[in-house]
Amino acid sequence: MGITITGVTKKFGAYPAVKDINLEIPTGDFVALLGPSGSGKTTLLRLIAGLEGLDTGSIIFNGVDFSFKNVKERKVGFVFQHYALFKHMTIFENVAFGLKVRPRKLRPSRSEIKDKVLELLRLVQLEHLADRYPSQLSGGQRQRIALARALAVEPEVLLLDEPFGALDAKVRQELRHWLREIHRKLNITTVFVTHDQEEALEMADTVVVMNHGKIEQIGSPAEVYERPANAFVYSFLGRVNEFRGAALYNDVAIARDSAVEAVGYIRPHEIGLSRFSNGVGIPAEASHVNAVGSTVRVVLKRLDTEDYFEAELTSGNFRELGPFHKGDILYADFTNIVVFEAITDSEHSKEREKVTVGAFSAFT
Amino acid sequence: MVKQSKRRRVLPGFGLSMGYTVIYLSLIVLIPIAVLFLKATTISLAEFWETITDERVVASYKLTFYTSFVAAMVNVLFGTLIAWVLVRYDFVGKRFVDALVDLPFALPTAVAGIALTAIYAPNGWIGQYFEAAGVKIAYTQYGIMIALTFIGLPFVVRSVQPVLQELDQQYEEAAATLGANSAQIFFKIIFPAIFPAVLTGFGLAFARALGEYGSVVFISGNMPMKTEIVPLLIITKLEQYNYGGAAAIAAVMLVISFLLLFLINFWQWRTARKHQVT
Repeated sequence: MGITITGVTKKFGAYPAVKDINLEIPTGDFVALLGPSGSGKTTLLRLIAGLEGLDTGSIIFNGVDFSFKNVKERKVGFVFQHYALFKHMTIFENVAFGLKVRPRKLRPSRSEIKDKVLELLRLVQLEHLADRYPSQLSGGQRQRIALARALAVEPEVLLLDEPFGALDAKVRQELRHWLREIHRKLNITTVFVTHDQEEALEMADTVVVMNHGKIEQIGSPAEVYERPANAFVYSFLGRVNEFRGAALYNDVAIARDSAVEAVGYIRPHEIGLSRFSNGVGIPAEASHVNAVGSTVRVVLKRLDTEDYFEAELTSGNFRELGPFHKGDILYADFTNIVVFEAITDSEHSKEREKVTVGAFSAFT
Repeated sequence: MVKQSKRRRVLPGFGLSMGYTVIYLSLIVLIPIAVLFLKATTISLAEFWETITDERVVASYKLTFYTSFVAAMVNVLFGTLIAWVLVRYDFVGKRFVDALVDLPFALPTAVAGIALTAIYAPNGWIGQYFEAAGVKIAYTQYGIMIALTFIGLPFVVRSVQPVLQELDQQYEEAAATLGANSAQIFFKIIFPAIFPAVLTGFGLAFARALGEYGSVVFISGNMPMKTEIVPLLIITKLEQYNYGGAAAIAAVMLVISFLLLFLINFWQWRTARKHQVT
């Protein structure tokens, strides 16, 4: 089922959680709502589900206006961040709940319910746990049961709120593949919320980057990563080095007297390193070299502005360059730097600072 | 129990705390009750049997358990409702209402009895309207039930309130996304979660009502066979210096009460365990 969201705004008190959202989700799409905490991504998901009422705008499911329909009528499957499995029911009863609460006329017979539930438990590979209670299951198992329960009502849209947030890294990795697999099998329109850019880029067909209740960019993972629309998207997706002021003017030829403050971003792997100056390089001193694994991470200090930055190169390139050590002088090529207009309003500058800190934390 | 105490624990002192518990319970509860049973044996078995099967005594047993049960049930219904309102809604004077709930605990029960009688008497504020409709409240079983409901009110509210407070709304939301209507959400999701607390509140309110004397004697009218409760009958026996008879009636009352409360607690324990299996 396709979803069209037009001009949707939701305020909590005076605080706008989402502002004027426009989003088109085609049938069968796998969408990630990606953003930092407080970006309004969960609110948007809850608005789609009907768990929150919207202030303005409309939400249309397949051409039918669902803006003011309640949760029950929307036929969405919702998987909660902490699963919300009913503690007093067995796994079987949890999955059967959506079928058992149907009005008598629409309710399947007891044996039909049983078949359906067992089929879903087979789908999530947890058939053997039917008689257990939720508290007897591990986090990953609970997550899969929560999904089976949501799928039992045959929803036309599946919504997941931070589906892997509370799981450890290994389980998370497994479940990502597994969820993609389920989506491939059922081809049901799926929207999930995450703050993990890696998760969004790896799983989704479409990534919606959100910040401060607004959509910053919509596109395929490759699009948003390769061609970020603005400074926020660039810095939120992956590791970055940030340059501003004198350092930036040394790197690229832009007008110094430009009225707007500029900020430059470059990803560590886009920095070219060489042993000798070739005219474009900025001299820098290696202050830490981490050569474990297939990528070599180097922290360098620019000799012109004393700013630290991080560079990344493959172990092959590292050997080609001739292994260097702490204290060696290298020449860094910043031609791939991307320059954005610095965001000036105070609300955004807070966010920018956070991003900067994030970028620099990679150096320590 | 010995085995358990040998297991290593983070906090020491099983022996000390268990010992204290046993001594405390003995001094405050077990020994006085044992003396009561001892007193009941001062009369012969025939006398004992005669006392407790006396028509008037049996009628009072029935009345006491019946009215206490009804009052506790009423408290379950309205206590849960009050707890719900106090937890789920914000309104002006919420703190005031919250404090009001505990008032039946603080008020001397005789005062409550007199106040309720004044209101529900045939010429009282509320009683006069019922009188006009042909319903008597004061000096009937209904009066007793009202008094017992009053003194038992805080138990259900205070047992259910914290549990309701802890109940995460995501369960209701999950049920709603699965297509459940409001009634289904309440009866299938919320009620099972608060049921152990409701049972606890019921048990407490019921126990409190069984032993209540002060408020009831004023509103009941104390007519033998009709509105005479067990505690009143015991007092009457004591006033006649019939200590053995009083002890006999009390002993039977105690055994039945204990069995009922034990059953309620067992049921409560089982539901609580079923809902949070580890």
